[in-house]
Amino acid sequence: MQILRETKLEGLKLARKIGRERVLEVLSEKRLIGRGGAGFSVAKKWEIALGVKAKERYVICNADEGEPGTFKDKFILKNNSETMIEGLLIAAYVLGAKRCFIYLRGEYDYLRGELEEKVREVLKESKMKVSIEIVRGAGAYICGEETAILQSMMGNRGNAMYKPPRPTVSGLWGKPTVLNNVETLTCVPQALVYEDWNPDYRLFSISGDVSHPGVYEWELGIKMSTILEVVKPKEKLKAMSFGCFGGIMPVKKNLSISQDTLCKNDCQHGAFSIIFIGERHNVVDICLSIAKFYTYESCGKCTPCREGTIRLVNLLKKIKNRDADEGDVKLLKEFAEHIQETSLCGLGQSCGNHILTSLKHFRKDYREYIK
Amino acid sequence: MKEKILLNILHEVQDREGYLSEKSLKEISKKYDIPISKLYSVATFYTMLRIKEQGKYVIELCGSPSCVLNKSREIEKFLEKELKIEIGETSKDGLFSVYKTSCIGCCDEAPAMLINGEPYTKLTVKRVKEILGELRKNANT
Repeated sequence: MQILRETKLEGLKLARKIGRERVLEVLSEKRLIGRGGAGFSVAKKWEIALGVKAKERYVICNADEGEPGTFKDKFILKNNSETMIEGLLIAAYVLGAKRCFIYLRGEYDYLRGELEEKVREVLKESKMKVSIEIVRGAGAYICGEETAILQSMMGNRGNAMYKPPRPTVSGLWGKPTVLNNVETLTCVPQALVYEDWNPDYRLFSISGDVSHPGVYEWELGIKMSTILEVVKPKEKLKAMSFGCFGGIMPVKKNLSISQDTLCKNDCQHGAFSIIFIGERHNVVDICLSIAKFYTYESCGKCTPCREGTIRLVNLLKKIKNRDADEGDVKLLKEFAEHIQETSLCGLGQSCGNHILTSLKHFRKDYREYIK
Repeated sequence: MKEKILLNILHEVQDREGYLSEKSLKEISKKYDIPISKLYSVATFYTMLRIKEQGKYVIELCGSPSCVLNKSREIEKFLEKELKIEIGETSKDGLFSVYKTSCIGCCDEAPAMLINGEPYTKLTVKRVKEILGELRKNANT
């Protein structure tokens, strides 16, 4: 796997040798984009933060992956955290940051001891005069969002904030702040060191009704038939859910996984998490489990999201209990669209995707439950 | 308070005392000059910070789709029956507090749960029964 290649501080050494400008050029030439789902250019993000006049800048490693079905950053933290830490140090070097942070999700606290040890080792060997502090998350999914994570770190509730200003301009304690996730930062030294580094490899988190769930590395555009050969469905598959916010669609063997092909099915790949759903399940049940997640994780700031996600759960429960009619399904769709249009952050804006896509692709499952 | 990470401070107190009591929040408030109302607001925002006394073992059962597909509901029912409590409560003997949680990132080893932060995966009712038995035994020794 490309993501497991170690760089042993060679990336940092090279960065210091060629200088920050050239590092940005190389990362741009190598087409390194963020792996959190938004796909923004890493070099561009760093450049924006660099362009802001400030006495201090901060770098944060976002290790708060929490989208259901996603566990690839955990895989890196367990297997190649040294390279991720090196990526953090290269970012600190380029940005002139003296204080770096790793925001580790509370659910991964059992990885903290080893991570702290690795941080100490890499820092010592690098001889860089920066600090890396681990911030202990506490079970709020919303804190993976870039403005919420800053609020959380500044001692507030993890509410999402209006943008602009973006964190790159005014972030932690008002200073330009670069946030990259674990996978992105791990790619930084690898992209610098290895000539044959491929920007199109992605880590996939595969789970659900398959015999070989796990983390896989595949190239963008991979065919679903190839994926299925590897992960071996336990039964005939009905659907696949791209994490929670990427939507639910039928499993099509000829589908290649890319932004364009998924868009045609109203889905998004997000962080490349695929939950396979077998034929014995009704998709409405899975939608209910996803809807509960959003209710649980809404930060409560925007009324449509705070109240609307609860209404979605209640309507789905009503449908599941065979107590609903077509009017309720219509209302469900309206609510989902309304919340998406009127919420501030990505959580609210995507909390209806599973409902809207399942209504499009699996109307039959709803009909099964309707009076 | 500038530039100190409040979350880490709260976690440290919780690690030591099991939960964030009114007394400890008042002490943090005084030490770091943060209004108690703000501390309460922050502490109640995060599901892993707790302001009530907890059982010796805090069980967090994952309720996400991958675990649901792999029969986590059976584990949930078993826990409620075995411990004679509902999700969100603490058993009478003070040993177990049980919660349902969002994804804990063990989807490839579903169903899964955390007990005092440590992952337990590929759960079956039989396995959970054994785990509870071991924990009870450890608590008594």
